[in-house]
Amino acid sequence: MAKRYVSILLLTPALLLLTIFTVGPLVYTIYLSFFDWNLISPNKTFVGLENYAELFKDQTFRRIIGQTFLYIILFIVLNTGLTYVTAYVIAHLIKSNKGFYKVAIFTPSVISLVVGSMLFLWILNPVSGPVAIVLGWFGLSIPNWTVTEGMVIVILSLIVAWKVFGYNFIVLYSGIVGIPSEIIEAAKLDKISKFRIFTDIIIPMSSSTGFYILIMTIVQGLQYVFTPIRVVTQGGPNYYSSNLIYHSYHEAFDLFNTGISAASSVITLLIFMFLLAMQFIFVERNVYYEN
Amino acid sequence: MKKEYSLFLMSLIVILLAACGNGESDEVSAESEEKTKIEYWHVNAETQGGNTVDQLVEEFNAQSDTVEVVARYNPDMYAGLMSNMQAEVASGNSPAVVQVGWAFLDYFSENFEYVEPQEVIENYHEEDVTFLEDNFLPNILELGQNAEGTQVGIPYSLSNPILYINKDMLQEAGLDSEGPETWEEVREYSEAINKATGNYGVYIQEPADSWGQQAMVECNGASFIDDGKASFASDEGIEVFQYYQDLVNDELALHIGWDQGIQSFIDGNVGMLYTTIAQRNNIESNASFDVTTLQSPTWEGKEKRVPAGGAMLSITAQDEEEQAAAWEFMKYLYSVESIAEWTKGTGYVPPREGVSDSEEGLKSFLEENELMIPAIEQMDSMVPWASFPGDSGIEAEQKLLDMRDIILGGDVDVEETVSNTEEEINDLLE
Repeated sequence: MAKRYVSILLLTPALLLLTIFTVGPLVYTIYLSFFDWNLISPNKTFVGLENYAELFKDQTFRRIIGQTFLYIILFIVLNTGLTYVTAYVIAHLIKSNKGFYKVAIFTPSVISLVVGSMLFLWILNPVSGPVAIVLGWFGLSIPNWTVTEGMVIVILSLIVAWKVFGYNFIVLYSGIVGIPSEIIEAAKLDKISKFRIFTDIIIPMSSSTGFYILIMTIVQGLQYVFTPIRVVTQGGPNYYSSNLIYHSYHEAFDLFNTGISAASSVITLLIFMFLLAMQFIFVERNVYYEN
Repeated sequence: MKKEYSLFLMSLIVILLAACGNGESDEVSAESEEKTKIEYWHVNAETQGGNTVDQLVEEFNAQSDTVEVVARYNPDMYAGLMSNMQAEVASGNSPAVVQVGWAFLDYFSENFEYVEPQEVIENYHEEDVTFLEDNFLPNILELGQNAEGTQVGIPYSLSNPILYINKDMLQEAGLDSEGPETWEEVREYSEAINKATGNYGVYIQEPADSWGQQAMVECNGASFIDDGKASFASDEGIEVFQYYQDLVNDELALHIGWDQGIQSFIDGNVGMLYTTIAQRNNIESNASFDVTTLQSPTWEGKEKRVPAGGAMLSITAQDEEEQAAAWEFMKYLYSVESIAEWTKGTGYVPPREGVSDSEEGLKSFLEENELMIPAIEQMDSMVPWASFPGDSGIEAEQKLLDMRDIILGGDVDVEETVSNTEEEINDLLE
């Protein structure tokens, strides 16, 4: 019995912090989503489900949900897919300068995203940035991406990828390096193609790491992209670069529609719970855990 | 593996160092413990007078035995400052002196607690009782009064929109270096510039407010706001936005964020720039070509009406000691010398008397600095910046920005978009 109390005691600090900083605000957010309030006014008006109804009636909000999924897909491609391939290439296909590649790829992840956003804004300035100038020599030009719908999401995702790539890469790299080399050597002797080694040996055997990265990509990507959106476009043009998380912020702290923002946060939460559930049901059962 | 550890360690150190950087600002106050410490909130980035703000605050702190001012920069202009202010008040604090943009005059006075400057003066600084009366023209002071006639703040940064011209580029395009006087001519000039040099003709400012667009609409004889209601969807208003959309669609005008737009002009990729006189210093010091300024263009046969840009200073300090300190600081900012510095560092027009024509003020500066002249000359055509009343002021302003995005974003029907936005704003205001 005593042992049980000790374990509860040891968990208390973590549970306390979790309650204060996660569960508490969560409950409060759900509460606020039923009120019309502007953050400073002394009176909150109870409006029931009206905030939710208003959001679903709003065409822009429905579009923002779609854009959120576009962001997620781009993140999966860039930050999980591409990273996986890069990690494999550097771990097994490249012979020299591995250290250099590792450092070069990891470095951006210690640089602040604000700095990164400013850098990209300058590099990709469609009129006077270096890329535009170089392309200009060949008679090409880059579109005015900050105000082009679609394009703006792709570039903002690239800025995030630039930042997140390094960390994901290092984690996946260690997962891939951890696979016993005999297996790969044996496959090589049997003249199995490099592509099949990747799809049939590397991915299945490092899938527990891969699964972790996949979840982090989906959960954290949207939080990371908040910074470049804030710095570069503020959600524009006309909300075409916004996503659910940015929109919740925009409603709360730019427009002070606290109720609408809370409702949008709750919807976001539900969507993410659904996504995570899907992942656990369909992806996790294929994951290989060594122990 | 070893390398990875050292890498990891290095990044840890970098993060730690970055975290330490934040702590520094708190240590300064130790020696000045008896001084009343107040916060001054401003929107002046380094390209827009931020250095002058820091310099004035530093000089003030050096000469004052009683007050210590901390300047805090707020990004995203006056809307950004309002947002930060709202969050700050929600957490129970408030700065002492804030810059309130004209567009937020009503919103600010309806939603925040402030003290009228004259009241503070009467309570704590009797020697200055006639300061406002003596030094400000009544019509300028009026800019800082809300619908009920309360003096919410004192005009500080006064600006109006002007047209900056890249003379070299105009010459290359074989254009008259006098520059365009009407918006119709701006289009003709842009076409010529585009044809001769391949560059964009003009960039019309697109910051997080619709001030520049208001100027264009007002100059066409329409008003942005009439009797507390949005009224820009008149025939004249729609004509303006149609013109603007065509200009962008025909690739004569650059459609891009404000900072990038100004940068493009400075880099010599755009021939003309329509923005505030407050950018004068930034443009003059960074452009490597012959730059000149012209009064805001108007429309053929229409009267010029330019909205007053900029901000007033309001006192939001809550306790008495801070209120007294706030005025001490403001009085310093409004002295002839400080206002002169402010104009030199930014390009704002002096809000008070006795600056332009006095030696310790700007007399010699203005004689040399011709770029300022158009802005000062068109001061008699200044109208108030559209300020939407009521709780929905911020949201109404946001709708105007959305509208600009939609119209410039492509081939939408301008008339429909403008009318819809006007309707939405008026629904909000009810």
